[in-house]
Amino acid sequence: MAAQFTRVVEAAGNVHDLELAVAAITVELGFQYFALTHHVDVIAERGSAIRLHNYPARWADYYDRNALGVSDPVHRASHMTSVGFPWSRMPEMIPLTRDDLRVLALGRDQGIGDGFTVPAHVPGEARGSCSFANEAGRPIPHDMLPLAQLAGMFAFEGARRLWAMRGGLRMPPRPMLTDRQRDCVLWVARGKSDWEISLILGVGEETVARHIKQACERYGVNKRTYLVILALFDGTLTFSDIFRRRYYPFPG
Amino acid sequence: MLHVVQSAARPISDAVLRSMFAARKSIFVDLLKWDVPVLDGCYEIDQFDDVHATYLILAAPDGTHLGSARLLPTTRPHILDSVFSGLCDSDPPRGADTFEISRFCLDRRLNARERRTVRDTLVSALVEHALACGITTYSAIAEMGWFQQILAFGWRCTPLGLPRMIDGTMLGALRIEITPETPGLLADGRNVASVLRTDHRAAA
Repeated sequence: MAAQFTRVVEAAGNVHDLELAVAAITVELGFQYFALTHHVDVIAERGSAIRLHNYPARWADYYDRNALGVSDPVHRASHMTSVGFPWSRMPEMIPLTRDDLRVLALGRDQGIGDGFTVPAHVPGEARGSCSFANEAGRPIPHDMLPLAQLAGMFAFEGARRLWAMRGGLRMPPRPMLTDRQRDCVLWVARGKSDWEISLILGVGEETVARHIKQACERYGVNKRTYLVILALFDGTLTFSDIFRRRYYPFPG
Repeated sequence: MLHVVQSAARPISDAVLRSMFAARKSIFVDLLKWDVPVLDGCYEIDQFDDVHATYLILAAPDGTHLGSARLLPTTRPHILDSVFSGLCDSDPPRGADTFEISRFCLDRRLNARERRTVRDTLVSALVEHALACGITTYSAIAEMGWFQQILAFGWRCTPLGLPRMIDGTMLGALRIEITPETPGLLADGRNVASVLRTDHRAAA
């Protein structure tokens, strides 16, 4: 079934074909609904980000109204792993704030039950995921989750190709840092002071302060914490850079 | 510079091979904490690094390792049939025209942009090598994050079985089809990536 699905996804020449293929495999897997999405504010991006789903209108409205693309706890949890997870496991993966719990409760009011989200991350690109979901009261098919993992990964890859072909994803130019500015921001992210960074990079403390100030200006922010967050968000920095884990090998 | 090294009978005698085995130790043992053998405290060499293995190694002109991959013939014992056979629904692909890619390795000293360039060059080299040698199929094992990246290269991939959690890591096996169309698919894949890329700094 997996191999067949990969062929169908590969052959999908337009978004509608892909939608039909993913909807069909969703049912095969024992789920009712799917959502393929980039984790960006889809309203703000005006259709340029991947977004394909067959959620009931009231679910989609609920997600859009709450602008959940970026802050959705499901999306946040999916940034913690490369492996699919049932939504019921989220509390073990990320700290859930009172707002998160409220959002999840609201979702249940809309009839959204448990689901399974497959993270999809290609370095340098917006993070995304493929979720399979059921309405409240309908359990998720645990036996099918390994297959859902595969289906989610191939479906996301199919969507990547189609969205790139549409040329829809030409995002507005993002702030660009010079290499030196980025080095400084990286060390800020690692918790170093200007003085420490100046020793590490072998430049004057004022130079470091200037690089960071200019980097802040490019991002239009005042606080260096916010600078680090934005640099992480747009991929100028990655968590792997900060913690020096930056490699995905073929194990074996 | 691309080196294709066909025999590692005396691995430590060759500077480029030595540099690769040292880079592998740095990545797979020091960084990823794999439980694999280390020779002389600085080279990662296992039972498959024998005269039957082929290595594709990208090195700087002075021999410094940039990236590399190991190819094992599937007509002999290899990782998918010896270590992770559970990852295939049926028998692992085997044949004179089928090789297994393992130890795909990008040097830790590379920054993000260099890493991407070396990675793309190495993937293209794998395809060119296959076309030159009559290889029609590669098999590979990948952790899920890397699996998604392998799909994104644009070549035709098929899962060989369901992914499984093995020692805390979810691994999957896949078949990569190599035909005369594959170089074009890789070019398409790079175009897709350039459209979707959000870190324009690294794309420059």
